[in-house]
Amino acid sequence: MASGRSRADQASRPCPTRSPCSDRALQTGSAVLYKTKGVSHAGLTLVQLNHAQREVTVKIVYYGPGLSGKTTNLQMLHTRISPEVRGRLLTVETHDDRTLFFDLLPVFFHTASGFKVKVKLFTVPGQVIHNATRRIVLQNADAVAFIADSRRSMASENNSYWKNLQENMRENGLDATQVPVVIQYNKRDLPEAKTDAEIDEVRRKGKEKVIGAVAIRGEGVLETLHTVLQEAYRSIDARSNLSKNISLTEDEFLSQIFKNVDTRGSALERKYPPKTPVPPTPPPSGAGP
Amino acid sequence: MSGGSSGGGPAVARRESVLQRRLTLSDMVDLSSFNEVVKSFVELYRVGIKVFDENGDKLSDVKVGNGDFCGYVFSFPEGRLRCTQTVARIKDGPLQPGQGSRPTSQVDPSAPPGMLTVQCFTGLRYLMTPVLWEGDEIGRIIFGPFQPDDLNELPPSLTEISRGLDLALLQTHLGRIRRAPESTVAKVVLNFGQILQSLVAVGQKTFLTTQLHVEATLETNRELEDKNRRLEDAFNKLKELDRLKSSFLATVSHELRTPLTSIIGYSEMLSEGLAGPMNSEQGDYVKTIMDKGETLLKLITSILDISQIEAGKVRLNFGPVDVPELVGSAISSVRPQALKKGVTVDGKPRGAATLVANADREKLRQAVVNLLANAVKFTAKGGTVAVSVSGPEHQEALGEEGYQITIEDTGVGIPQDQFDKIFESFYQVDNSSTREYGGAGIGLAIVKSFVEGHGGRIRVSSELGRGSRFTVVLPMTPPTPRTTQVPPPVVPPDPDRF
Repeated sequence: MASGRSRADQASRPCPTRSPCSDRALQTGSAVLYKTKGVSHAGLTLVQLNHAQREVTVKIVYYGPGLSGKTTNLQMLHTRISPEVRGRLLTVETHDDRTLFFDLLPVFFHTASGFKVKVKLFTVPGQVIHNATRRIVLQNADAVAFIADSRRSMASENNSYWKNLQENMRENGLDATQVPVVIQYNKRDLPEAKTDAEIDEVRRKGKEKVIGAVAIRGEGVLETLHTVLQEAYRSIDARSNLSKNISLTEDEFLSQIFKNVDTRGSALERKYPPKTPVPPTPPPSGAGP
Repeated sequence: MSGGSSGGGPAVARRESVLQRRLTLSDMVDLSSFNEVVKSFVELYRVGIKVFDENGDKLSDVKVGNGDFCGYVFSFPEGRLRCTQTVARIKDGPLQPGQGSRPTSQVDPSAPPGMLTVQCFTGLRYLMTPVLWEGDEIGRIIFGPFQPDDLNELPPSLTEISRGLDLALLQTHLGRIRRAPESTVAKVVLNFGQILQSLVAVGQKTFLTTQLHVEATLETNRELEDKNRRLEDAFNKLKELDRLKSSFLATVSHELRTPLTSIIGYSEMLSEGLAGPMNSEQGDYVKTIMDKGETLLKLITSILDISQIEAGKVRLNFGPVDVPELVGSAISSVRPQALKKGVTVDGKPRGAATLVANADREKLRQAVVNLLANAVKFTAKGGTVAVSVSGPEHQEALGEEGYQITIEDTGVGIPQDQFDKIFESFYQVDNSSTREYGGAGIGLAIVKSFVEGHGGRIRVSSELGRGSRFTVVLPMTPPTPRTTQVPPPVVPPDPDRF
């Protein structure tokens, strides 16, 4: 979870004994930050559970080569997720529709126990020259969706950006064992796309989950989000025990979002039946989304 | 890659990005432009507007019409008290119904659920609505006070504050306050909220991108500074290594060659009888000292040559070269060695036509000499070394016009699996300490470097016990750059994920 302080600073602060700070918690001003069990090489990884505001923030970063479909994924999610649980899609593009800084789609909900959960979906700029921006956007990520291009000719680009991801994770002190990565093989519909057998081979090469997609048609987009959120939850829960500390189970975490998603035509349709009819964009309540 | 963590080390703690910060309404709204919008709304609708951020800090407060009315009421102690309570309610009170407020939708069902109506003790009203962003309340908008159209007379909560209240004056002041149906004001509030929403969206985009641009520039700068520092360190280390290498080469050159030259020179003087006559056995010994000295000198020179080649310091100076003449000259230089060994050098390279190519005469000659010396060395007494030159003609190996120099011997031959290795520096087919043939194993490495420096290729074919054939294929005009390049060692890459 995105922490509000530098890791080094957080790690160095002693934990006071008074409530509500348990033996695994730190009190910093009005916020209570829970230490994770895991210790990365950069120091303790912290998950911010802001008890004063009863809020948790989860950061998911869509990473991958230029033009692999990262922004398309977020655009599709923006159309599929009900405005009740998502904000505006912020995109910053160049004149030729290339992402200049990042895209941001906020998704939020309240848990049954009254905690607010914010999921921030970011994309990084894919162009090689924007590596510094990629590294900044990747800071404090809780999970990564790596959007690979299925075309055979793009294998080298995919590998190059995969290595770039590893480097930038290392640079940001993100422990690869604690920050899950999910691979989306996008553009499955293109003629020179790898076959399913070839993708199975890629799947066997590593531990990351691999999902096929045609993002421009919305195929595989929800499945990717579901998988990356599930992985993020499991990783965070393993470190900071969300289910105990804020009574948020994996089922609730996912269903609070996906019950507000138009899952028609996706593999999630049965698990999260779409509301009928699919909610149109309602007028905003108050002065904001 | 950047920072002190390059090479997989621990990451450096950096300043937190703006993307991790919780933004306030003040961050996302350009205050001067926003105030212009608020003023134009107030002028248009004649109702005051206040906007506060989530911390209760005022972003905008434009009043209209109510100054005299409220000022007069405020001049009475009880009026001041009740007024302060109302202001506290709208500014800091909860954005939920209660404490003197009700949902606006109770009266106007079309009003959004979050909007509240706050009743002032004077009979005036306020409408307030939260500013929501990403599901958070980041501020509140307050419209009012306005005179609701259902206000027919001043309420007791106002008239009871003092017996000295001038009701006629109050009515006059009240007349300056906008009278409107609550539902109309609610629509204006909704409209204002939507405009604020757009301003926040634009403001957020501008704020984040501007901040991120600065962060990215600082990050790039940090990365460049770090790379510069590492390059400078590497450069200084290389300079030091270069100095040490030059010093080493100079030492080798001086410390080995100088005494060796003396050994050869004094042996020559002895051999020529300058120190008095010697018997034939002494003469033979001295001759052997001279021969071995010459061999050693050549070896040292070759080692220096290969050092220069590997350092990329050899520069080829191309010019027109008569190739058959060059080959003839090379044959002349090995002929004494061949004669001594009883090997015939079949040297009729000139053929029918002259062949003038662009080449570095000295380096090419050395390449041919090395090949010939090698052929003679590995050919037994009675054997033959044949040299031929062909071309100019199209060379398949080069894809352009070129010529070939072929040196063929009837020597011991080379095992097929050694064809590539014989061109490596210091490689010997027979590497045992008891091997029959001497040498440091660098002659062919020099040949290969020089030939490739000319843009040419060298290939070998051989049959064990029957002899070997070295074919040098060279272009008529070598490509630039004219410096021999030894490719850097190949580092195996990480395995690919895709």
